[in-house]
Amino acid sequence: MATNRRRHANAIPIASFMTWGIIALFALCGGLSYVWCKNQLYNTGTEIHALERELAELKNKNEVSLSKIAQLSSTAKLQERYDTGFIKLVPITNDHIVVMSNTAPKPGVGELRPVSNERTGP
Amino acid sequence: MNRAAKNRALTACLALVGCFTVFSFRLVHLQVTQHDEYAAKAADAHGLRQVNPSRRGVIQDIHGESLAQNEPVRTVIADCSLIKDRGAMAEVVSTALGLPRAQLLEKFERETYSQKEKKNIPAQYVVLKKEVPENVAMDLADALAARKMRGISFAQETTRVYPNQQMLCHVLGFVNGDNVGVDGIERTMEQYLRGHDGFRYTERDRTGKEIVPYRGQEKEARNGYNVKLTIDMGLQNIVEQELDAAIKQFHPKSATVIMMQPRTGEILALSNRPNFNLNVQDNVPEDHRRNRAISDMVEPGSTFKIVTTAAALTEHIVNPATMIFCENGYFAAYKLHDHRPYGDLSVTDILVKSSNVGVAKLAMQLGDQKFYEYVRRFGFGERTGVNLPGEISGVIHPPHTWSKISISRMPMGQEVDATPLQMATAMCAIANGGHLMMPQIVHDITDEAGNVVTPFAPQEVRAVVSKSATDGIRNALIEVVSPKGTATLARVAGFKVAGKTGTAQKYDPKTHQATHDKYVVSFLGFMPAEEPAFVCLVLLDEAQVSHDKNYGGLVAAPIFSRIGERAARYLGLTPTAEEPAGSVVASQNIRD
Repeated sequence: MATNRRRHANAIPIASFMTWGIIALFALCGGLSYVWCKNQLYNTGTEIHALERELAELKNKNEVSLSKIAQLSSTAKLQERYDTGFIKLVPITNDHIVVMSNTAPKPGVGELRPVSNERTGP
Repeated sequence: MNRAAKNRALTACLALVGCFTVFSFRLVHLQVTQHDEYAAKAADAHGLRQVNPSRRGVIQDIHGESLAQNEPVRTVIADCSLIKDRGAMAEVVSTALGLPRAQLLEKFERETYSQKEKKNIPAQYVVLKKEVPENVAMDLADALAARKMRGISFAQETTRVYPNQQMLCHVLGFVNGDNVGVDGIERTMEQYLRGHDGFRYTERDRTGKEIVPYRGQEKEARNGYNVKLTIDMGLQNIVEQELDAAIKQFHPKSATVIMMQPRTGEILALSNRPNFNLNVQDNVPEDHRRNRAISDMVEPGSTFKIVTTAAALTEHIVNPATMIFCENGYFAAYKLHDHRPYGDLSVTDILVKSSNVGVAKLAMQLGDQKFYEYVRRFGFGERTGVNLPGEISGVIHPPHTWSKISISRMPMGQEVDATPLQMATAMCAIANGGHLMMPQIVHDITDEAGNVVTPFAPQEVRAVVSKSATDGIRNALIEVVSPKGTATLARVAGFKVAGKTGTAQKYDPKTHQATHDKYVVSFLGFMPAEEPAFVCLVLLDEAQVSHDKNYGGLVAAPIFSRIGERAARYLGLTPTAEEPAGSVVASQNIRD
């Protein structure tokens, strides 16, 4: 009886240790996960910040290019290039211009005319 | 436990309770009583309101060509407290920005008084250079990063760029250092062009770096709307070139050309001389900035005769064939001369020969009040309402202030002060059948995607004269450009041109009399006469030509002809006149 009491008195409560151990492990994992998530959040934030900067730089470059295009394709620049001979254009003289009327005159009574391409005005 | 031990334990407990009570009071004091103060301090230290700048809208011509554009630039700023080796920094910055090394060293050594430290400390905000191109700023940033140098930062800004430089300078206007329009379209359309900056509330760490996860309320920036003008850069270029050629040839004090679409009142081209480069505005005289088309008054001279004649025809006092006795060149009662002695002239011929006596008699038949009423109906004496700043109304005196000879002078454009735009608008009314249109310079307002936000439709101010009257005037104006008229040199091969010359003596404010050596010469016409595609006014002030050649028919009419010929090709107008202009011989009547 005495031996029995001693054995029970010194028993190690493994179940209890296991329970607290698991709780501690969960707490540890939770804590580490929280820190890891927080860290990820900051890292992602830094990435977002870097990407935003890159985007802003690209937008700036785009604006610079648009401004450059506007300047190079402006009437004043094209005229300057034409004046300096960079763009070669030959002015069309009046004797090389044929003006075509949209409407053909109405045919006279009894006059025979080919029907193709004929349009009679109102 | 004995009594002494109990006392010690009680004392220790009371001390602890006392301590914690003090701490609790302090905690409550900090968290409750002083909460707002410390929260504000924390917000100041860590909170940040980032501004997301908006982009100013662009200005385009009718075909979408960009006339005013934004270009990103950087302002280079030095924080002298962070610069360790000033000499080395000056070397790097000097090479990149092209600034003298000595000037940079002087800036790096600047100090400011610190209230906190009660002494002078190195300045933390010194602007080294403004409007540095993006690529130059980036190269400098790379060079500094490679050398691990600190103390230089770059502020993002935009500058306004005008690709066509001088062209259309008086219409476009310009912006000030804060990107706010101060003249021209930039000023009148400011409410549309200006965007609305966005913002973002966020927090930063102790090094000033943003903590992205702590971002709060955010609002997107709204970029400015784009303004599309009625200006056609093809026509504008033609006008500018011909005006430059005229300036070279005649060296006038100033000159103006306005081209308008008569049916809608749209301004297709507008140019003044002297002008200035919109991208280089340092030391530009104020005189060069003035848009003379709307802010200068001139006596219209004989071009004003169309108003008198149209009024007489509308009132059915005369018809185009009615004969008027022109007093053989001298109307003694009013001391009024004609260039040549004319006897009986038809109403049409009064315009064709530009008879002062004839047109004065037409006005007299109308009567003072009626004549004045028509002048006002044509829009003289009031602002046209064009969307440009600085427009003046001109001066038309009411009949009760007239002198005895006013009724003989005003019909031929003397004692009348009008802006060039008013003259062109009046001619538009003749060209379109009698409807006075409000001059229009803005076509519409669009957003970034090109959707029309606000259309600007043509506006008719009022019906001025009858259709039959304008038909009569039109026929007379075609005759003006014929060999028997005063504007033979305004003819354009293949087209019927209608127009009127004007030669006005300038008023001398010292002698209070008209001068005999200073003239304002003009030609105001439209083409094709049958269905006008445009009205064009050419006006030169004090052209440097000999006295006997200083006439609208000899100076302004040929400029109109050259503009008309090139504009007809550009617009693809179909020639309607059978007879080509060929070699034109100036008639004897050309002196007007």
